[in-house]
Amino acid sequence: MSLLTVSNLTKRYPRGGKSIAAVDDVSFHIDPGETLALAGPSGSGKSTIARLVLRLIEPDAGRIEFEDNDFLALSGASLRARRARLQTVFQDPLAAFNPRATVARVLDDPLRIHGIASRSERPRRIAALLERVGLAAELASRAIHEISGGQRQRVAIARAIATKPSLIVLDEAVSALDVSVRGQILHLLLDLQRQERIAYLFISHDLGVVRAVAHRVILLDAGRIAESGDARAVIDAPRSAIGKALLAAAPRLHRTRP
Amino acid sequence: MTVLASIRDLTVTYRRDGTEVAALKNISLDIAAGERLAIIGESGSGKSTLALAIAGLLPAPSRIDVWIEWPGLGRVPLGGRDIGFVFQDPSASLDPVMPIGQQIAEVARTHLGLTWPQAYAKAKNLLERVRLPDPDSALLAFPHQLSGGQKQRVAIAAAIAAGPKLLIADEATSALDTIVQAEIVTLIRRLVAEDGMTLLFISHDIALAAELAERIAVFRHGQLVELGATARIVDAPAQPYTRALLDAHIGLDAEPLLNRSGLAT
Ligand SMILES: Nc1ncnc2c1ncn2[C@@H]1O[C@H](COP(=O)(O)OP(=O)(O)OP(=O)(O)O)[C@@H](O)[C@H]1O
Ligand SMILES: Nc1ncnc2c1ncn2[C@@H]1O[C@H](COP(=O)(O)OP(=O)(O)OP(=O)(O)O)[C@@H](O)[C@H]1O
Ligand SMILES: [Mg+2]
Ligand SMILES: [Mg+2]
Repeated sequence: MSLLTVSNLTKRYPRGGKSIAAVDDVSFHIDPGETLALAGPSGSGKSTIARLVLRLIEPDAGRIEFEDNDFLALSGASLRARRARLQTVFQDPLAAFNPRATVARVLDDPLRIHGIASRSERPRRIAALLERVGLAAELASRAIHEISGGQRQRVAIARAIATKPSLIVLDEAVSALDVSVRGQILHLLLDLQRQERIAYLFISHDLGVVRAVAHRVILLDAGRIAESGDARAVIDAPRSAIGKALLAAAPRLHRTRP
Repeated sequence: MTVLASIRDLTVTYRRDGTEVAALKNISLDIAAGERLAIIGESGSGKSTLALAIAGLLPAPSRIDVWIEWPGLGRVPLGGRDIGFVFQDPSASLDPVMPIGQQIAEVARTHLGLTWPQAYAKAKNLLERVRLPDPDSALLAFPHQLSGGQKQRVAIAAAIAAGPKLLIADEATSALDTIVQAEIVTLIRRLVAEDGMTLLFISHDIALAAELAERIAVFRHGQLVELGATARIVDAPAQPYTRALLDAHIGLDAEPLLNRSGLAT
């Protein structure tokens, strides 16, 4: 049974008197514990799909089923409860969090809002979450602006897993990190996936990263699915014109002695 | 080889909330006139600080002990005229409420002493050089009406409007998809060659830096770890840190990190 099923999703935006389809009749599914990547050129609709799935915006047409619920029909308490199972990690956590808030505060919020732990239990939960993402417990008292970018991205992941989600949407979540930190964060995400069967909707324009971490990939072009399939098969030998163009343009590192 | 800029013992210390951050420590480095030099290194290693120090753009509460000579210029450079700067986020260097033609013309007028009509003609020519579609109407467009890649082309046009000797691109293509990124890199390469400009290209994408640059400088913790010809750095790094950076690169032929058995079926 799939975890998320998206059917015939369409989202239009007005543009110079006309209307353009940012997302045009898109259908896909994600299984529990699976990573589905969305790739494609700038403006192809990746972030719009992420926002639709997170219900930050409403579609013009289509269905979203999440954990066997008609997700678009949910509201109030049942939507809130289901939202705990669907989390996100932003590209720039500094913009997403209050930079003066402490790490403990950022992690306390979801535990409190979703009633996951009592007030007395929460400090222990926060320490456990920090340990889970490989951060020292002492970091809890630091402000968000007082930790490094890589540490901040770990805090964002800790916050996302605080509510025990089954799906995390990652929109360019590792793109701003340097290569060494990015590798560590990707390993962390894959460990969490193995241990807790979390599924990811993974958006990135780095095809090397997509190929290394995703099970399947969808290549988007102008709001439509151009091609989809096994991530390595598609990236190693794309069949669509946009897939070929993206691959041809990707920089390659030629090392004679790796 | 003519040296454009000779940097000796450059040390930069930022001051923030009473504490001091040593961002660069005793950097010595020559930039050859006409070369394409890439700066790579982890986040916080001081790459942007180096670029800002060279361009004379460091924020006020910083202490800079520096000796930069400009033999290739024969005088102290003037920011905007002798050095063009392109940032990661083109919106940061473009004024959202001014038509882009006016923004580019403004640079040309200020630094080249052109009249407005001359400056607009120059702006149109620059938009053609960066291959923006329909330059006539683009002159009148506002930044928000352009895509990310188009905005970056405009930012490059503005950066080279005064005919700088040195073009500094700080993560200028990091936010772009591979197709637009390759177009911008080709554009930069062509402009640098046509105008005999020197390029300082900052990126944490090693593959991209290696494709574009003739030499690569590796930074870490505010220090210059090593500097050499691109092929030498990539194939025979002298420092373990450089090797670690190269190994951390996830290329299109990398071993997948994914353990496929991890997928519940
Ligand atoms: N709020 C909005 N109003 C109008 N148009 C929008 C809005 N959000 C997105 N669009 C348009 O929808 C299309 C898809 O945008 P989207 O942000 O989903 O692209 P993307 O694939 O995430 O691109 P990128 O790789 O640059 O992040 C674009 O043409 C964009 O201009
Ligand atoms: N305005 C500032 N005030 C105080 N500290 C600063 C300032 N700008 C940078 N720093 C610090 O100086 C060091 C070097 O920063 P710099 O921005 O040069 O790194 P970078 O190599 O460009 O990193 P990135 O790849 O993340 O852009 C870092 O420790 C950073 O936190
Ligand atoms: Mg996006
Ligand atoms: Mg920088």
